[in-house]
Amino acid sequence: MMYEFDWSSIPGALPFLWQGMLVSLEITAVAVVVGIVWGTLLALMRLSHLGPLSWFAAGYVNLFRSVPLVMVLLWFFLIVPQFLQNLLNLGRATDTRLISAIIGFALFEAAYYSEIIRAGIQSVPTGQMAAAFALGMTYAQAMRLVVLPQAFRNMVPLLLTQAIILFQDTSLVYVSALADFFGAANKIGDRDGRIVELLLFAGAVYFVLCYAASYAVRRLQKRAAA
Amino acid sequence: MISIRKVSKYYGDFRVLTDCSTEVRKGEVIVVCGPSGSGKSTLIKCVNGLEPFQQGEISVDGTSVGDPKTNLNRLRARLGMVFQNFELFPHMRVIDNLTIAQSKVLGRSKEAATAKGLKLLDRVDLKAHAEKYPGQLSGGQQQRVAIARALCMDPICMLFDEPTSALDPEMINEVLDVMVQLAKDGMTMMVVTHEMGFARNVAHRVIFMDQGRIVEDDAKDAFFSTPRSERVQQFLSKILHH
Repeated sequence: MMYEFDWSSIPGALPFLWQGMLVSLEITAVAVVVGIVWGTLLALMRLSHLGPLSWFAAGYVNLFRSVPLVMVLLWFFLIVPQFLQNLLNLGRATDTRLISAIIGFALFEAAYYSEIIRAGIQSVPTGQMAAAFALGMTYAQAMRLVVLPQAFRNMVPLLLTQAIILFQDTSLVYVSALADFFGAANKIGDRDGRIVELLLFAGAVYFVLCYAASYAVRRLQKRAAA
Repeated sequence: MISIRKVSKYYGDFRVLTDCSTEVRKGEVIVVCGPSGSGKSTLIKCVNGLEPFQQGEISVDGTSVGDPKTNLNRLRARLGMVFQNFELFPHMRVIDNLTIAQSKVLGRSKEAATAKGLKLLDRVDLKAHAEKYPGQLSGGQQQRVAIARALCMDPICMLFDEPTSALDPEMINEVLDVMVQLAKDGMTMMVVTHEMGFARNVAHRVIFMDQGRIVEDDAKDAFFSTPRSERVQQFLSKILHH
């Protein structure tokens, strides 16, 4: 017997799936913003001449880049909720899964972002820094006003591409039973015994979104190069 | 105004400057020349502390450059520097290149900084290009903007590090014209360059460097007519006989 597809459970599940999509997008957005900010600080520390700062940043980046994301998420799922509950005096009932997932993602992605940003900073010719110094700027001013704006402009495509990868990676939060888009599809599939259809559908949605976004990034890149 | 005394600089074991000493007095134009790798760019970058040095002393208007207690940013704000590769900030319009350090370093108001910027752009004949980005200008125009940018800070002295070496031959003169005018207006200048025409025209003294040492430090006329060292005679005969 051939497997018979039955897509009938999808239309009714769309509102629930949409809620899941919002969770995925929320995790992505926060992780991208925090990842870039924290990643920039890590990159600056790594490039600084102060030994301890540089070692800390190097250690951080190497640690997070050497362990699987799913494991990091699991640690945060197991540790952070308790920590937050103790810290903020929350009741046992408060759901801290989302916040711990977001923290896990942001800290993990910052390691990758910091490497992109470090390369971006190094792509700005050293003469720019010298020119800024020659005008009397401090190191902080030279970085903020002269080097970082140029670095970020060079990095935009890479940062966006990393955001797309991050969006796909958010599906890993299913380990904490959180209903992101993938988790939501999984749950509906389980409930209706239509796991194959639901996962095919979810895969198609991920593909369309990510492919469209990559295409947009390539277009942007071409326009910037022109 | 600038006094350089027995300055030596090392990269590891390699000595790039050896016992360099000279003076630049107020209103003087000093040309520093010599073969590639002779340390002339390094020496001029030591003057505003862009390059550290290990021995000797440099003082600018009474402030010691090598002293760790010296606020180098404040000192550099008073010294203009022009680079071989212009080093304009490509993400800013020309006028913003001219105003950013005025407002962020000197604390001038936006209006005052813009007025000053436009005045100096006019002086280098580029007022019409204020709204453009550096990438839209020719090399010669960019270098003139870079000179204007340095002048915006009301420097007590201008340092030029091979300002015409990266330019197409056709554009060298427009930059030299600006520099000649500046010299005639009485600006104190230290200029690393191979443009011997410029040296003959406006320099008071010429310094010749070779292998990290100051080989000759002479009044202009003496430098060109009766150079003392054989190395300078060689150098001059090679670059002047065409």
